Amino acid sequence: MIAPARPPALTLSGVEVRDGARVLLRVDGLEVPAGHLLGLCGPSGAGKSTLLHVMSGLICPDRGAVRWGGADIAGMSEGARDAFRGAHMGLIFQDFMLFEELSALDNAAIAAAWAPAPARAVIRARAAQVLRDLGIEAPDTPASRLSGGERQRVAAARALAGDPQILLADEPTASLDRAGADRLIADLVRMARAHGRTLICVSHDDHALAAMDEVRVITDGTLGGPA
Amino acid sequence: MRDLWDQMPLTMQDAAILLALLAPGLIAGVLAMRGLRPWPMARALLRRNRGINLLLAGLMALSVGLGTALTSQERALRIGSARAADPFDVIVAAPGDRISMLLAAVYLRPADAPLLGGEVLARMQADPRIALMAPIAFGDSWNGAPVVGSTAEFVRHLGAMQAGRVFAAEEEAVAGALSPLQVGDHFTPAHGGGADDEDQNAHDGHSFEITGKMAPTGSPWDRALIVPIEAVWAVHGLPEGHAPGTHTIGPPFDPAYFPGTPAFLVSAKTMWGNYALANDYGTDTTMAFFPGAELSRLHGLLGDVRRLMSLMAGLAQALVAAGALAGLAALARLFAPRFALMRALGAPRRFTLAVMWSYAAALIGAGAAGGLMLGWAASFIAARIVTAETEIAVSPGLGWPELHLVAAFFSTAAILALAPAVIAFRRPAVEDLRGR
Repeated sequence: MIAPARPPALTLSGVEVRDGARVLLRVDGLEVPAGHLLGLCGPSGAGKSTLLHVMSGLICPDRGAVRWGGADIAGMSEGARDAFRGAHMGLIFQDFMLFEELSALDNAAIAAAWAPAPARAVIRARAAQVLRDLGIEAPDTPASRLSGGERQRVAAARALAGDPQILLADEPTASLDRAGADRLIADLVRMARAHGRTLICVSHDDHALAAMDEVRVITDGTLGGPA
Repeated sequence: MRDLWDQMPLTMQDAAILLALLAPGLIAGVLAMRGLRPWPMARALLRRNRGINLLLAGLMALSVGLGTALTSQERALRIGSARAADPFDVIVAAPGDRISMLLAAVYLRPADAPLLGGEVLARMQADPRIALMAPIAFGDSWNGAPVVGSTAEFVRHLGAMQAGRVFAAEEEAVAGALSPLQVGDHFTPAHGGGADDEDQNAHDGHSFEITGKMAPTGSPWDRALIVPIEAVWAVHGLPEGHAPGTHTIGPPFDPAYFPGTPAFLVSAKTMWGNYALANDYGTDTTMAFFPGAELSRLHGLLGDVRRLMSLMAGLAQALVAAGALAGLAALARLFAPRFALMRALGAPRRFTLAVMWSYAAALIGAGAAGGLMLGWAASFIAARIVTAETEIAVSPGLGWPELHLVAAFFSTAAILALAPAVIAFRRPAVEDLRGR
């Protein structure tokens, strides 16, 4: 019997992002195994979001490699990075970034809009399921009428609707109250663990960081060791 | 290919032109949206900026509506005026300005015209090629409506009766379809336009009874009152076209007692006979012309004005479309964080182009459709005004040329809308995501 292939690790080596002469981010080496929960913290402007953008392929580093299995994300074309991100990654942002005019379900299933026709129904069904799992009982409610906590859960459902192997969350609890933040973190951790997903979470929130397997600190653009 | 095109019915040709004009815009849309489903996002953008969207679509609708109303009314007036001239095959009058005579005889515009005498009448009455020869005497009025003297044959030639009968005696008259007078009513004409009391009372004692009401002709004759020409001569104290003591009306007239008439309507027995008549009666003492041909010449002279109007309408549409597209380009910047979010979630760059284009195309489509409705409504209002002013029945409504104009507008604007879409396409996702 052949064992199912494990999802690969996400590795960064010799990564450097510059703005002219100024180094915005330097990561000599980082390996995030599949299913690992990694917290990133550090002062504002230290480079946490930049690191997340490098991992997601939104920023192409000036030097170094970002690998996921055999794929070199940093070496891909822009179109290939878009496709890779859509297929394997889910992103969550601090200020939800929902389409206020669309329903919770339409927001969660937004990727169906650019997915190939056969995949659209699958994404929509999965989005509906994730919304239920996250406690959104009225998926047809416009996003504008949801509470802050509900909005962030819709944003989480949007990130999970594509069944990604890697979840990248940028300050996901920053706009929530304590109870909402704790619930969201609990949900993200539960859904990551249940499906063996990697979760990389940038946060200043001690509760959120405490739920991670490992926390690394970024200072002045340089990724340090475990906190 | 040319033969195939010529053999196609006109409606099919117009439909084919419409499709050809729409095609570039539709092809641009198919290319921009191929394999993607941008409408939900475009709908969200439309809902988010209702005020701006309404303003942009409204401006486009206004310019398209004005353009279509202008061109449709110009065409409707041209068709209406040509239809009004239809019954007038050849006009024979004293030498002078043909356009003035055309306006006076066909459209009953007041004009001073020299009279043709008995010798011309004699020649026409002896001409075997002529099927209908009717003198037309104008100049008097009743309550502002023209009172025209002619013959019963002319009335029948002009159109059918909707009530009563054609006059058969000197004190009888026929009313046009739009005249307030009905069968059995009486009236006394005023001299000329009846400008003062003297003119108003000049023909006192000469009362006419309406014996028939004509069906609508769509011409100024619908407001006219037509009386036997002998009555016109009588009220002016002139010989009545017949030897004294003969109490008849209508042809043949006696040239010796023919006091003169400003114009004759002449119709030959054959169509080509009209050309011969127009040629033969164009002499030193008479002028003969086809009203339809003069009208075409007039329309030809006005053609430059028409082209200028069309150009200005097109220019106004282009300016409004350019303004709207500039607004869309500015909006593309406003929407940048949303497009950046889509990119971050894995949308291909082309998806942002598709969303922006479909959003712009929806506004342009709404503007074009709204413009068509506005133009249709404006053409009704304009038709009523023009009909009231000219008494020429102008049919309201839009035709193929307006549909072609709007299709051209849509296609051009839809292609130009790729510009703001490309702006959205080229924006850097990360910077927009960070709100820079």
